[in-house]
Amino acid sequence: RVSSDGKPPKFQPPPKPVIIDRKTQKEERRFLSPEFIPPRGRTDPLKYYIERKDMIQRRKVFNIPEFYVGHVLAVTTADPYASDKSKRFVGICIQRGGKGLGATFVLRNVIEDQGVEICYELYSPRIQAIEVLKLEKRLDENLMYLRDALPEYSTFDVNMKPVPRMDHEEIPVNKLQVRMKPKPWSKRWERPKYNIKGIKFELPEHKMKAAQKWSQPWLEFDMLREYDTSKIEEKIRKELNEELEK
Amino acid sequence: MMPIWTKSGEKHAVTLLKVQDCHVLRYVSKEESGGKTAKLLVGGKNVSPFSKPESAHEIFKEAGVPRKQKVTTFNVTDDAIIKPGTPLYAAHFRPGQFVDVTAKTIGKGFQGVVKRWGFKGQPASHGQTKTHRRPGAISTNKAAKVYRGKKMPGKMGNIYRTSFGLKVWRINTKHDIIYVNGSVPGHTNCLVKVRDSKLPTYKDCNKNPPFPTFFADGDEELPEDLFDEEIFQFTDPSVTFA
Repeated sequence: RVSSDGKPPKFQPPPKPVIIDRKTQKEERRFLSPEFIPPRGRTDPLKYYIERKDMIQRRKVFNIPEFYVGHVLAVTTADPYASDKSKRFVGICIQRGGKGLGATFVLRNVIEDQGVEICYELYSPRIQAIEVLKLEKRLDENLMYLRDALPEYSTFDVNMKPVPRMDHEEIPVNKLQVRMKPKPWSKRWERPKYNIKGIKFELPEHKMKAAQKWSQPWLEFDMLREYDTSKIEEKIRKELNEELEK
Repeated sequence: MMPIWTKSGEKHAVTLLKVQDCHVLRYVSKEESGGKTAKLLVGGKNVSPFSKPESAHEIFKEAGVPRKQKVTTFNVTDDAIIKPGTPLYAAHFRPGQFVDVTAKTIGKGFQGVVKRWGFKGQPASHGQTKTHRRPGAISTNKAAKVYRGKKMPGKMGNIYRTSFGLKVWRINTKHDIIYVNGSVPGHTNCLVKVRDSKLPTYKDCNKNPPFPTFFADGDEELPEDLFDEEIFQFTDPSVTFA
């Protein structure tokens, strides 16, 4: 710098480093697996507490990664009848069901032109490894319509390499509109009760209108069906974080 | 109900039963009761004393115990008599034991013959006039009467039934919970009577049970969870077949 008086320039302290506290930021948007949220009912909450203790115990020993419906997973299970005593299956997660220890997820793949769906239990001791190969959410929470879609949408390479994930924050949503085989389908997916946004319906307009006859617009205003899980989720998330850090 | 896995990877369904404030209320000797063995009256869950008259509280006052919702009798041999007033815990049972569970079944109200007794009814079409779920014939011509006990419509459920020979998989001593194999009669949170199995196959099954019962103020320090040998514990790594 050019000094005005011939003296050395005024001492400028270096800029202070900006500390981004990653830990607090991470805990704000933590994922809570849906099987931890207890269903509505008249069971004693002590039962859910004890089940959660068992689930946490299992998670400490075996890592169950965060995954949603639409991710592509590879699961290795122990099998007494296989030659290597273990089986590996790759597939897209269609649905996640069940609460507590009996939580399940269904993986679908098309192997040699045959569609295969396997329902695994998350907490079964036979499962030896769960790897997430591709992270992407879809527009719906239930992808059962892939059974009636063209097989190309359910085929995934068995020897697929895991896709590397850049950010630790956002999971991309794939807005893919799937093309279906000709009707009849296993379920009438055009009806509003399934509320599917991921299908490209190529049906004539009068059929889509006729399907709207079964819509129940009063359901979203029904107060008896409301189940606000935010407070329950907060408590369970706190409990989980405390236990897993031990 | 919960799933439970064995060390070989098989899954079994398990019912959780909680032992809530159980106390021994009275000892009835063999001669008094007129049966083959002595009896012990045991009371279950605590309940408010204000909904029953004072005369009904005598048994509880003698034992020094709050009023219980249910009082049951257990037939007991003379060497297993317990002093009235002792609390009973889930640690009375051990994993690997076999147990009978009695409870009142879910009440279904007045039910027809198809649901109550499993009758087949009549076809839906081909000319049936107003007859699809009726019992049909109730007796023969020669009998000229209807036999006693004929299966007919009536009130179904809300009666005591027992499931026999259920295995105890696990016991939680901290919360007094017994994990019992399979299903148990009754709705969720109903009162249930758990007793050592009287099936002949399980007569010699109990190896060193706590006799006459598990006393909490004794010297034994039990761990929080007692597991059966075959259960897969979640502290172990995943199952592998060699």
